Amino acid sequence: MSSLAALQKRMIASLVAQDADLSDCWSKQQQAGLAVYRNNYRTATIEALQNTFERTCRLVGEASFIKAAIHHIIQHPPHSWSLDHLGEGFGATCAALFQNDPEVSELAWLEWAMHGAFTASDVDRMHAAAFAEATASFEADDWYAMALRFTPELAVGVVTHDVIALWQQTAEARVADPVRKLDTPHAAIVWREGELPVFRLVADYEAAALQAMRAGANYGDACEVVLAECPGDEAAARAGTMLSRWLTDGLVIGMGG
Amino acid sequence: MSHPITFPGFGLGLRSPHYQEFLEQQVPVDFVEVISENFMLDGGRPLRILDQVRQKHEISLHGVSMSVGSAHGLDLNYLARLKALAKRIEPLWVSDHLCWTRTSAHNSHDLLPLPLTMEALDTVCSNIHHAQDCLGRTLMFENPSSYLSFPEDEMTEANFLKEMASRTGCYLLLDVNNLCVNAHNHGFDPLDYLAQLPLSRVRELHLAGHTPGDIRIDTHDRPVCDEVWALYEKVISQVGDVATLLERDDAIPPLPELLAELDWARECARKAKQEAAA
Repeated sequence: MSSLAALQKRMIASLVAQDADLSDCWSKQQQAGLAVYRNNYRTATIEALQNTFERTCRLVGEASFIKAAIHHIIQHPPHSWSLDHLGEGFGATCAALFQNDPEVSELAWLEWAMHGAFTASDVDRMHAAAFAEATASFEADDWYAMALRFTPELAVGVVTHDVIALWQQTAEARVADPVRKLDTPHAAIVWREGELPVFRLVADYEAAALQAMRAGANYGDACEVVLAECPGDEAAARAGTMLSRWLTDGLVIGMGG
Repeated sequence: MSHPITFPGFGLGLRSPHYQEFLEQQVPVDFVEVISENFMLDGGRPLRILDQVRQKHEISLHGVSMSVGSAHGLDLNYLARLKALAKRIEPLWVSDHLCWTRTSAHNSHDLLPLPLTMEALDTVCSNIHHAQDCLGRTLMFENPSSYLSFPEDEMTEANFLKEMASRTGCYLLLDVNNLCVNAHNHGFDPLDYLAQLPLSRVRELHLAGHTPGDIRIDTHDRPVCDEVWALYEKVISQVGDVATLLERDDAIPPLPELLAELDWARECARKAKQEAAA
């Protein structure tokens, strides 16, 4: 290792380990300067997480959030050129730290997905009219074999609490009301409409069908997922409604694998 | 390879509180400078805003994460994204800092100081050559503010920059506030620094505010102080036709306040050049 590489490794270690004793390696003048860089590092990383997870911060309170942020930064020190990437895995950090309050990690996951959707690639959506034209001559087998391509920012996650209410409550003030637990787990799907990230809750079967088709399954396979939930006629209606909603929401960008 | 042009204009850093005004009004600036990393994105609203601002203004790209001082070399993914942004925006120039930000494992997200040694100079020049080849353009590098120095130093920062510009052909962005901060923090005369710097390589000057104290900190959170204005007048009278950029990154005031400060920079430059010509 070159002497420059060794110095840089030593200096980063002194910044990242906030409580490390600096007196062995650094002169008094350097220690004073390092304190400034340490403070910059700590402030920049915590602020980056606060900016990305402002609702989660309001939910748990600033003091608890900062503790969680510091824990996350120690466990996952920044390595990317962008501070925006620091939030990767913060939902899992919250899941580990707030085990008795799963709504915290669910909200953190949702904020991270919305954050990612905000700057995701600009991709043209497949409009319902284009889809109708492309499928106008479809026979039953064609419908079964149909594959779809979905917008790249689409994210799907399981939630057990009413994250719609939680999202609204944490928009400005800290949450005062208890967060309602859903009767059954749902999935939240996140995508972008124009420039605006949005989300909605979907039933388990729809999330499973969506995940399957994103992974390459065809529409027939997705219908089988729905059929496992309810009788044939109802399943057919639900599968049709589901597909129609994906199109109107702008989740579909094309047909074929 | 494209080169930074001579552009004797006065500009502002484009920051989000002022996006709407830049989109809706004709803001009286000659150019705007953006933090490159804020727009090295896949898509979405920030890039749409930048495209719209670009239709009305010249733009310069100013980065904070190239890390040309890294002993571990450059991040190729970073360079690819920067190249894509530069192709999209067609900026006046692309600049970054003489500093390092990361090792192979960690990124500090701060502009960390280099030891001013021959080894560091070799590393920096190698990285700049690499970046310029990759981006297809001659880059510009800023003197950073710093809060510590190294006993290993073998030359002054001004001489380091001079040698760096000579070896790589890169241009210099002289941050007058950083010069003022460093002169205090490291106990040197800023005029000696200017005497050593190849001023003909300077294409842009930065102005900003700093927090005073035993160690002055480059906070960009307040107006430019009198000491920096006085130094700016000395600098602007010695350099050729260069751009001047006013930066504010924290405690960002309403746009008219910054425009008034930029008008003051214009007045200082006019006065200094007039006196120099007399």
